[in-house]
Amino acid sequence: MLKLVVCIKQIPRVTELPWDETSGTLRRDLAPGMMNPACKHALEAALQVKEHYKAKITVITMGPPAAEEVLREALAMGADEAILICDRLLSGSDTFATSMVLKEAITKKCPKFDLILCGAYTADSETAQVGPQLAEELDLPAAAYVEKLEIDGKTLRVRRLVDNFRETLEMEFPALVTVSMENYKPRYASLAGLGKAFDINNFTVLNAEDLGLTASSIKTKGSRTKVRKVFLRKAQKGNVLLQGAASVVINEFLDKYQRKIGTVIGKSIEENKHDDEK
Amino acid sequence: MQLNPCTKHKLIRDSVRNFAETELAPIAAEIDRTATFPRPVIEKMGRLNYFGLQVPKEFGGAAMDSVSMAIVVEEISRVCAAIGLCVTVHNGVAVYPILQFANPEQMKAYLPKLASGKWIGAFSLTEANAGSDSASVETTAVKKNSDYILNGTKIFVTNGGVCDLALIFALTGFEPGKPQSSVFIVESNYAGFLRGELEDLCGMRANPVSSLFLEDCPVPASNLLGKIGDGMKIGLATLDNGRIGIAAQALGIAQGAFEAAVKYAKERQQFKKPIASLQTIQNYIADMATEIAAARLLLYNACALKDAGAPFGCEASMAKLYCSTVASKVTSLAVQIHGGYGYSKEYDVERYFRDAKVTEIYEGTSEIQRLVIARTVLSQWIF
Repeated sequence: MLKLVVCIKQIPRVTELPWDETSGTLRRDLAPGMMNPACKHALEAALQVKEHYKAKITVITMGPPAAEEVLREALAMGADEAILICDRLLSGSDTFATSMVLKEAITKKCPKFDLILCGAYTADSETAQVGPQLAEELDLPAAAYVEKLEIDGKTLRVRRLVDNFRETLEMEFPALVTVSMENYKPRYASLAGLGKAFDINNFTVLNAEDLGLTASSIKTKGSRTKVRKVFLRKAQKGNVLLQGAASVVINEFLDKYQRKIGTVIGKSIEENKHDDEK
Repeated sequence: MQLNPCTKHKLIRDSVRNFAETELAPIAAEIDRTATFPRPVIEKMGRLNYFGLQVPKEFGGAAMDSVSMAIVVEEISRVCAAIGLCVTVHNGVAVYPILQFANPEQMKAYLPKLASGKWIGAFSLTEANAGSDSASVETTAVKKNSDYILNGTKIFVTNGGVCDLALIFALTGFEPGKPQSSVFIVESNYAGFLRGELEDLCGMRANPVSSLFLEDCPVPASNLLGKIGDGMKIGLATLDNGRIGIAAQALGIAQGAFEAAVKYAKERQQFKKPIASLQTIQNYIADMATEIAAARLLLYNACALKDAGAPFGCEASMAKLYCSTVASKVTSLAVQIHGGYGYSKEYDVERYFRDAKVTEIYEGTSEIQRLVIARTVLSQWIF
C-alpha cells in the first residue's frame, strides 16, 4: 500500500488583509480560514492516486487550533488520517522553521511514507519554499510545480511546467512533489463526508514537546527570517498618449520607453538596474 | 444551547459557500432571467447529498442536524434563492414527512431516490380555494380496489415542473362536522398526473413552480402516507419543519443582499468619499447587521429545539415571520443603498429584492405565522 503524506496550510479567505504594523505579520485573525488552494490541488492529486492504487493518505498541518477545520475538510474529501501540529512556541515560524517541524512530525508519525505532496505555494505568503526545504531536510528527490503524476512501481514520473516549457522527470520513492494548480481540480466535499470527517478518530494533535522540540532548540534552529519593515508600494501609473503617423509614434515610443521594456525584449536585469540608477 | 458555531457547522458553511460561489453565482442572474431550472448543477448537488440533508446514511443521506440543514439552505440562498427554494422544499416538506410518517417499505422505495437528488420532491397542499385555510382542500381520493383514484387541481407547487414525486393532500371523507384529508405519495409517472404551465413569477424564477392536475389518477393504496385522516396532522407537522427551511432561505437572501450593499457602500463615491462614510448609510448598515444577527439566532433556536426533540412549532413560526420580514426590509435597503443601479438587473440586489417578498407569503403567510404564535402564547404559555 502506498503511503502518502499531504502537507496543507490554512490561509485567510480574503485577498486583502490588514497587517500588524509592529510585527509586520498579517492580521489573520480578522478573516475566516480556508485550505490554501494549491494544497487542495495537492490533496486532490493524492486522492486520485488513491483511486488508482491502494493508498493511505495522511494530512498534516501546522497552525492554530482553528486549523483543525482544514484537516477535517481534507478528511471529508477522502483523506484517511490527520495530524495537527499546534503549539504557541511554533507561532510565527518562517518557512525554514516550518519545514523543520514538518520533518520531525513526518519522521515520527509516518516514517515509512512513499510520497509527500505539498501545494506549490500558498496564496497568503507565496514563498513556495516549504516543499523544497522539506525535501532538503528529509534528503529526498523532489520536483516543484508538478501538474501531473504517474506511478510505475517504485518509480514516480512527474510532468511540470516551468518557465513556459514542460518537462517530465522520473524519481524513485520516497520522494516529494509540490503540486501546481494547472490540473487536479479539487473535488467538493460531500455533506455526508463532512459529517463523517468528525467521526474519524484518526485525528492527532501534537505539540512541540511531542516532536522533541524545546524552546531553546526552536530558538537556535527556528525562524531565521525577521520582518524588518512592511510597506505598501504605491503604484504610480500615468497615461501618455502618442499621436501622429505610425512610424513617428513607434519611433517616439522606442526613443522614450525602450529602456523600460528592456526585460521584455531580452535585456538583462543588471543592465536595467544600471539604467535606473542613472 | 451553543451560540457560537462549532467547527462542524463552520466547515459546513464554508463548504456550501464555496460550492455556491463557484457553481451557482456565475449562473444565478441568467437562470433568473430565463426562468431555467439548472439540471447539471442540480445533479452535482445530488451527488454531494444536498437532497438528502436529514436522510439517514443507510438511505444515502447526510444525516445532518437541523442547524446544519439551515446553514446549507442559508448559504445556497445567499447566492441563489431559487435553488435554495428547490433544496428546502425538497428536504423540508417532501422528504421530511416521509422520514416522519412513512412505513419501512415506503422509506426503502423512495428515500434513496430522493436523497440522491435523482428524484425531486414536491409538497402539494395549496389549491385555488385552499391556502391558509388548509381544511378546504377539494381534491378527492376515492378507494377503488387496491388504488385510490385522485381528482383535483393543485396550484403554486414549488418544484412542480420537475418533481418526480409529490405529496398530495386529498379529501378522503368526512368526520362528523369536518372534512377528513389524507396524504398520498404520488409519482409523476402515474397515469392522470399532469403538469400545468410554469408560473411566470416575480422572483424565484429559476424554480419551476406549476399547477398539478390529477385526472382519475390511480395511486396504489400502499402509497398512503400515515393513516387515512392523517392529512391535517401531517400537514401541520410538515409546515412547522418547512418554516425552518423558509426562514433559513429568507436569512440567506438577507445576508446576500446585505453583503452586496456593504461592498457597494464602500466602493461608491459621492461627495468625493465612499457613501459608507455617510452616517445615513451607516445607520442602514447597522440596522441590517443587527436584524440579520437577531434573525439568525431565532432560526438556530428553532433548529436547536427541533434537534433536542422539543416542540418547535411556535419558534419555527417566529423564525419564519422574523427572517422573512428582515429579508424584505434588508433587500429593500440594499436596493436603496445601490440607488438607481440597485433597480437595474445588472446588480444582484434587484433579484434579491424580488426573491425576498415571497418568503413573507409561502409556507404560511406572515399573518398565519402571527396566528400560530398568538395561539401558542395564549393557550400554552404560563407566566
